[in-house]
Amino acid sequence: MIYFDNAATTLIKPEAVRRAMYSAVGRLASPGRGGHPAAMAAAEKAYECRTAAAGLFKVPEPEQVVFTMNATHALNIAIKSLAGAGDRVVISGYEHNSVRRPLNTIGAKITAAASPLFDEEAAVAAFDKALTPETKLAVVNHVSNVFGFVLPVERIAKLCRERRIPLVVDASQAAGVLDIDFQRLGADFVAMPGHKGLYGPQGTGILLCGRSGETLMEGGSGSDSRLALMPEYLPDRQEAGTHNMPGIAGLLEGIRFVSRLGTERIARHEKRLLGAAVKAMKELDEVELYYAPDIHCQSPVLSFNVKGEDCQSVAEALAERGIAVRSGLHCSPLAHQTVGTYESGTVRLSFSAFNTEQEVWHFVRELKSIIHHRS
Amino acid sequence: MVHYIIVCRSLTYAQRTAKALERVGITAIVMRPPADIVGESCAYGVKVREKNLSAALKTLKEEGLSHGKVYLLRPGGSEEVRG
Repeated sequence: MIYFDNAATTLIKPEAVRRAMYSAVGRLASPGRGGHPAAMAAAEKAYECRTAAAGLFKVPEPEQVVFTMNATHALNIAIKSLAGAGDRVVISGYEHNSVRRPLNTIGAKITAAASPLFDEEAAVAAFDKALTPETKLAVVNHVSNVFGFVLPVERIAKLCRERRIPLVVDASQAAGVLDIDFQRLGADFVAMPGHKGLYGPQGTGILLCGRSGETLMEGGSGSDSRLALMPEYLPDRQEAGTHNMPGIAGLLEGIRFVSRLGTERIARHEKRLLGAAVKAMKELDEVELYYAPDIHCQSPVLSFNVKGEDCQSVAEALAERGIAVRSGLHCSPLAHQTVGTYESGTVRLSFSAFNTEQEVWHFVRELKSIIHHRS
Repeated sequence: MVHYIIVCRSLTYAQRTAKALERVGITAIVMRPPADIVGESCAYGVKVREKNLSAALKTLKEEGLSHGKVYLLRPGGSEEVRG
């Protein structure tokens, strides 16, 4: 199988991830739940993972790295810490349902700072206009999970800092691919999954915290047990319940893999694949392709449609030929509304460090074959 | 051998404290303090040898790492030595 659905989950992982998870089962107990060797070994592993993540994302202290179940969990903590019913919240026009749905659920008043695809200046201008003294929170998707548009998050963060508006960054598609400097960004929270560009297993996520925040769940923390409420300090405040130690052990190896290669090298490789796919696909008259004229503002996520064909049918035809892609709205109806693909959806390719140019060429051949057989 | 325990506010903070001490060559072990120090409140601390205590506290000060009380660990019960 050729796997081009890495924006959902990177399926092919470094071998060390699998080994670490296997080794964790039966060896690592619960951090903070005892002083015995298995608990302390788990504590050490969790700390190593926090430290590795803090190093990769330039977080001052490992306590600011909170383990979550996924990016959605992390975003829920962040959003519900900073916004409530009736609060005005500005989001980009490319947000995922993991941002939109929590905001709607709490009854926030959402302003979408929508801007055209792959237009950085317009994105900054849209936020500049939308961020007013009434704004309680801004949420920005660093990279669109549908189109790969890299939003100018540092410039938007600067606007927020100047206006003293708290900022949450959804780094779901950016973590492991783009350089993220938490300190320089000055965001209140940065949320990310462990199972995409960080090559960890499903069931892992990270929230980088610039503040303690409000709790989403309460329970045992292995600390200050006499307190009736969760402790105020991180990471304990946001980590109620038993940790996913096999997941954390796997995530640590994923982060080590990314750190060893470097995000710049990973991005260069994946962009080469993106460039190869764009070059071949834009020659096909039957294909509607959503690509950036300037490749620096597109991460290795590429949406397309075959004219006159339902996106699901195209994805199915590719799956029958052994190529895994994703089709539909990608849990981001807002992004599709912004770009004008809400009715049709798109077929999405997304690359990882393990994909090759040969796979891209094979995909293009199969796509041509699908188009040929259709006509 | 006489040991002291430096109480920390959380497990992660104790780990960070221990790593900072290990970086300057001080053996530091993360552990749960005896109940007479923190009750049954699930706290953590860092155990250091008596000969290293002053250097350890100096290092933590230099690193900007705050800590809780310091206790002398004894078989019959612990004794607070520094607030």
